[in-house]
Amino acid sequence: MSTLIKVSGLNKFFGDKHALNNVDFEIVKGPPVALVGPNGAGKTTLFSVLCGYLQPSSGQVGIFDAKPGTKATFGRLAALPQDAQLDPSFTIAHQLSFYGQLQGLSKRKSKMEVERTLELVGLSDVLKEKPEALSHGMRKRVTIAQALIGSPDIVMLDEATAGLDPLHAREIRQLVASLSDEITFILSSHDLNELERLCQQVLYLDKGQLQQHKTLANDIDHGYITLRMERKEDEIITALKSIEQVIDVVNSQDREYLISVRHKQDEIPLDIQILQLCHQKKWAYRQLINGKTLENQLF
Amino acid sequence: MLELQGLQRIWCLAKFELVRLFMTKRGALALAAFVTVWLFILYYAIGSAVEYVSSKTTQTIGYTLLSAEGMDKLLNWPVAELIVYWVLAMYSFPMFSLIASSDQTCTDRTRGTLRFISLRVTRAEILLGRFLGQVLILAVLIAVTLIATLSIAAYRDPSLLLVGMGEAFYVYKNILIAVLPFIALTSFFNSFTRSSRLVVIVTLLFFTIIPLIIAFIEYKLGMNTYLSYILPGGQISDVINQKELFMSNYVVPVMQMCGYLFLGHIVMKRSSL
Repeated sequence: MSTLIKVSGLNKFFGDKHALNNVDFEIVKGPPVALVGPNGAGKTTLFSVLCGYLQPSSGQVGIFDAKPGTKATFGRLAALPQDAQLDPSFTIAHQLSFYGQLQGLSKRKSKMEVERTLELVGLSDVLKEKPEALSHGMRKRVTIAQALIGSPDIVMLDEATAGLDPLHAREIRQLVASLSDEITFILSSHDLNELERLCQQVLYLDKGQLQQHKTLANDIDHGYITLRMERKEDEIITALKSIEQVIDVVNSQDREYLISVRHKQDEIPLDIQILQLCHQKKWAYRQLINGKTLENQLF
Repeated sequence: MLELQGLQRIWCLAKFELVRLFMTKRGALALAAFVTVWLFILYYAIGSAVEYVSSKTTQTIGYTLLSAEGMDKLLNWPVAELIVYWVLAMYSFPMFSLIASSDQTCTDRTRGTLRFISLRVTRAEILLGRFLGQVLILAVLIAVTLIATLSIAAYRDPSLLLVGMGEAFYVYKNILIAVLPFIALTSFFNSFTRSSRLVVIVTLLFFTIIPLIIAFIEYKLGMNTYLSYILPGGQISDVINQKELFMSNYVVPVMQMCGYLFLGHIVMKRSSL
């Protein structure tokens, strides 16, 4: 698979603050990548460096083997920067069409692209509106549309669904999922459930350091099952531990249990046994997850 | 090929600035203010110019005034209106250009709009595109006022329209060249400020403090350091007086423009968006 982004030894200082500390990673073309971490971890700084908004203090950053913010990345790397706003003086159609033309599209083609991308985010009817006439959520969706103009290889969305109502947040998630065959998305969000649904690869930043760089799909094979219950059941840990394939059960959160599993070829699969146990005991379960949740993996 | 694409992007950015002036509410308001001021200038100063410059009773006064300023060559121009326009425009347009071009990139940087743009064009192209956009705006405004001046002259005497074409072109070319370093100076100030108001303040400080510093240095050294060449507009009186110095008319303003654009490029390349 082709490497889209390669970062090595990246450091960024703001005065005495070490915002990014010797960060190394590679992103290849493929499913969406999650960028997670607590507030102040350096996520937005990393986004800004990758987009070329900030110069790194030291280290190497290669986007398609070129420096960020150079001609090689134009039209191929798109982004929804956090807090960036459109010009209030112009209509949405005029501004997005202008961006299309800057990417080298003809006036006619860029107009068509604007209509296509606004339709993707469910805002075909705001073409003639100015940004100030739109709600916060609508403005955000317009800026997501601007990131989809042309045919970018990488789209970086910083807190794309923050401030959106649940319906539109779901639409954006569906949009990302539907386009992820053609586009490699890099998503930053505090909503781990959202990232878990969309992403296969996770970059976990904390205090400017890359703590984990892992692929979520591998964890399914690592022998964990997460069980979420409708109500708190007193005997559940003992009952689960009585199953032969279960190594350990941890009450990871309220009404959530992380079960370590020993795989055996010739026995009934553990998930089936857990469901049978719930049925016998008349326990209502909410969710059975094959593997650890992203939250349990990270924290 | 890439260079051509770069030029296309610069042109695209420049056109966008023209649209901003002529198609947006804010631009229309600025334009209305400009037109109002120039209507007064055209009506009162330029419209009555002929009395001062051509009339037998006042010619002596006009001649005395212009001679005192070393501008007696201007009396050879056949269109009196153009004489007054030349002097007024040569001093007012550079000052006007400082205010008109005070917001090239700073508001967009503060708002974050430059982040959308910088994913599609280089920072040097943003700087040059916005600069070119302001030059185009000034070129249009100078042309409009010049055409209005010629129209006033032609209304008085239609034969002056053809006679004055040569001088009008000369006036247009020189005013446009004179404003270039002023626009480039604000391009430079825009590369590190966050609002157009701040650009105006920095410009005011620049034109008040820098001459004092230069004077102090030259006083201490007891020699001409040529440092005054960093100040745009120092050559304007030579241009008005038609000394026809290639240095004053072209080299100084163009070098100043290149210098300030280069400084703007250096700062912008390193700045955060």
